[in-house]
Amino acid sequence: MKFFRRTDIIVIISILAVSAVSWGIHQYFFAEDKGKAEIYYYSKLVETVDLSNGDERKFSIPQDENVTLQVYRDGSIAFIESDCKDRVCIHAGKLKTTGQFAACLPNGIVVKIVPHKERDEDDVDLVIGN
Amino acid sequence: MILVFSLSACTKQEKKRYEAEFLLLFDTLTQIVGYTDTEEEFAAHVDLIYDNLEEYHQLFDIYHNYDGMNNMKTINDQAGIAPVKVDQKIIDLLLFSKEVYDITDGKVNAAYGAVLKIWHDHRDAGIDDPDKATLPDMDQLEEASKHTDFHQVILDEKNMTVYLPDPEMRLDVGAIAKGYATEQVGRLAEGNGMVSGLISVGGNVRSIGVKGDSSSTPWKVGIQNPIEQDGADIRKIILTNASLVTSGIYERYYIVGGEKYHHIIDPETLFPAEYYLSITILCADSGLADALSTSVFNMPFEQGLALIERMPDTEALWVFHDGQIKTSSHFDDYIAE
Repeated sequence: MKFFRRTDIIVIISILAVSAVSWGIHQYFFAEDKGKAEIYYYSKLVETVDLSNGDERKFSIPQDENVTLQVYRDGSIAFIESDCKDRVCIHAGKLKTTGQFAACLPNGIVVKIVPHKERDEDDVDLVIGN
Repeated sequence: MILVFSLSACTKQEKKRYEAEFLLLFDTLTQIVGYTDTEEEFAAHVDLIYDNLEEYHQLFDIYHNYDGMNNMKTINDQAGIAPVKVDQKIIDLLLFSKEVYDITDGKVNAAYGAVLKIWHDHRDAGIDDPDKATLPDMDQLEEASKHTDFHQVILDEKNMTVYLPDPEMRLDVGAIAKGYATEQVGRLAEGNGMVSGLISVGGNVRSIGVKGDSSSTPWKVGIQNPIEQDGADIRKIILTNASLVTSGIYERYYIVGGEKYHHIIDPETLFPAEYYLSITILCADSGLADALSTSVFNMPFEQGLALIERMPDTEALWVFHDGQIKTSSHFDDYIAE
């Protein structure tokens, strides 16, 4: 069995204390802040969807009922149904990270993920390959 | 089709971030991000970029005619008939095409239209009516491939004409047009005084300077993992005056007999290239990045790696079908911490 010296304990406690404070600061400033999805219809913002409340639901924008979007519990959103032929919007998959987007060009709908409040340093400016 | 809005309010001296998007050009989404002092300044850059991209889009279009304009379609329609007087922008693109044709041993070939048209027609018909989707006939592809020697294209720089002496030859600049146009409008925007910008034409990203906020950090662009499309697996790449492009096969394809057939055709097999799920290229010039992404897509790994390693300041990332990822020797230097 190894005995701690008093100074070790103090050092350990201080490290723990510093860690706790850092963790708190990190949580306060950098905790994953699930974003919002902005939905554009022919370049006009028509709906903003909060992705942080854990809801799971399907919906369409009133401007085009033939396109269905789904919000998932994990804070992501995806095109799941569309009357477009190429289905590129659906193939784009789920979006959840700031900077991601998907577009249904034939129907003029763009979904993009934006930060909930301010952009933080870790946010990417845009995402490609989706 | 242009949308401009401010995303964040900053301190007085600091430039503000603006974003704009439009849908109509190059059959894809164009996004522009910029930091400027005023919204008007940003809107002026966006207008310049939009107007020029629109012109490139029309000049490089092989499917449509535009009033008062000779474009790629005009050249194709006049194959075997007569030289076509064209804008300097078409001459410049074809000179660039020749350069990349030689660099890539013909893996990127602007005169590959005869073969690509057959695939395009089958893909369109198959997307329109999936139950009746068909594959091109190999004999037909082989016959078309005899009319794809780019060196036969007659470019007359003095008289500004282009002529395809082979009546069966067709130009198709789909593999480079977006990247090339992105590069050109990026340079124009720089010339117009844009010092902090990011232009993406369907994933062909060209950066100008660094972010214009107080951080002055490099731009950060995410690459989506093509296998885990859950929106979370993103590799972050830092860009300063550089270009990034991803060529992937997971969005644009059609299905025949349960198999997916994508749109990047390997000149060796005349069929969609099967080596990778996606290729990402990082280099200064967006046009070159676009060309390299297509050519590396059509090459076995060792050959693609050798090509990338001999190009100065050029990096690549390969995603294989089994999820394995390989990178060129300095790609990791650009991954954000």
